[in-house]
Amino acid sequence: MEPSDEVLCERVARRDEDAFDLLVGRYQQRAWRLAWSFLRDAEEARDVTQEAFVRVYRAAASFDGRARFSTWFYRILVNLCLEHRRRRRWWSLRTPADGSSNGTPPIEDHPAPASHPLEGLEREQMMRRLWAAVQTLSPQQRAVVCLTLEDVPTPEIAAVLGCAEATVRVHLHRALLALRDRVTP
Amino acid sequence: MRGPHPEAELVAWLRGELPPAERQRVAAHLDACGECRRTHEAFAAILADLRGAGAPPLDAARWRAGLRARVAGAARPWWRAPRTWAVAAAAAAIALVLALPFGLPWLEPAAPRDLAAVEEVVLGRRLPLLRQLPVVERLELLENLELIAQLDTAAPDGAAGER
Repeated sequence: MEPSDEVLCERVARRDEDAFDLLVGRYQQRAWRLAWSFLRDAEEARDVTQEAFVRVYRAAASFDGRARFSTWFYRILVNLCLEHRRRRRWWSLRTPADGSSNGTPPIEDHPAPASHPLEGLEREQMMRRLWAAVQTLSPQQRAVVCLTLEDVPTPEIAAVLGCAEATVRVHLHRALLALRDRVTP
Repeated sequence: MRGPHPEAELVAWLRGELPPAERQRVAAHLDACGECRRTHEAFAAILADLRGAGAPPLDAARWRAGLRARVAGAARPWWRAPRTWAVAAAAAAIALVLALPFGLPWLEPAAPRDLAAVEEVVLGRRLPLLRQLPVVERLELLENLELIAQLDTAAPDGAAGER
């Protein structure tokens, strides 16, 4: 039988490298997708996901097992993503936009890779508008949307963000309304 | 009858998180209410689009190598980390460069503490000006003589400048 995430985390606390490799294998792709939808920048997503696992490695002994490992891990990752975004925002406020970017948000410079390369230009533009709109959501709304895209259940999102389930649903509802209003021509 | 719009339940319904009774009520409402149906369809389409965009493929080998290096760095005590010393050296170099315009305290004589000594130092720094003192006095005198010569023609309250 496969050991649970929580058991693996206990073993990581005892510096079991195999257990750490197993945990990394289980969460690597999920973490990558979440960080990518949050940051929309491959280099930053790579940095943030690695840092999240480093923190797991360092702090595994402090994981008390009362929450699920996934909740703990997502909380670390989401906090790192939010921190990264804050830093990026601070930096963008201090570096004037040059002529090339023309004041557009960074998302415009990093279009989402199309899942179907033959999709039309119109759809690509719509997707750019959509992700640009996601960029403008509040940190909580953005976190809820990104975790929803990873199919994290509402009770777990609430535990990650430290709020009530009803609050998570309100965030998602408002976020989707805002996205609809921005994307609809 | 349609009943009130199930705004609060719409997201839960969309995620399949409603209990059966609630689910039936929302489904019945969506059948009857075009506005809520359009909102629900828009929400579902947005989530599907965002999911469909996907993340670029991760170079797992490179990512793992980077993680291993970082974990190895994290496992090492901070005083043995080469980065710590590099950061300390960089900070010292920056501090030195920033301090240069203000002078380095150990390269200059200590500042005198009593008032007389301070005045001495100030006067000492103005020595080139003091050497020109007779010239300065003479210039002031000439200036006064000029003013005296113009007294007859000068208008009161600085209006002379306007003429």
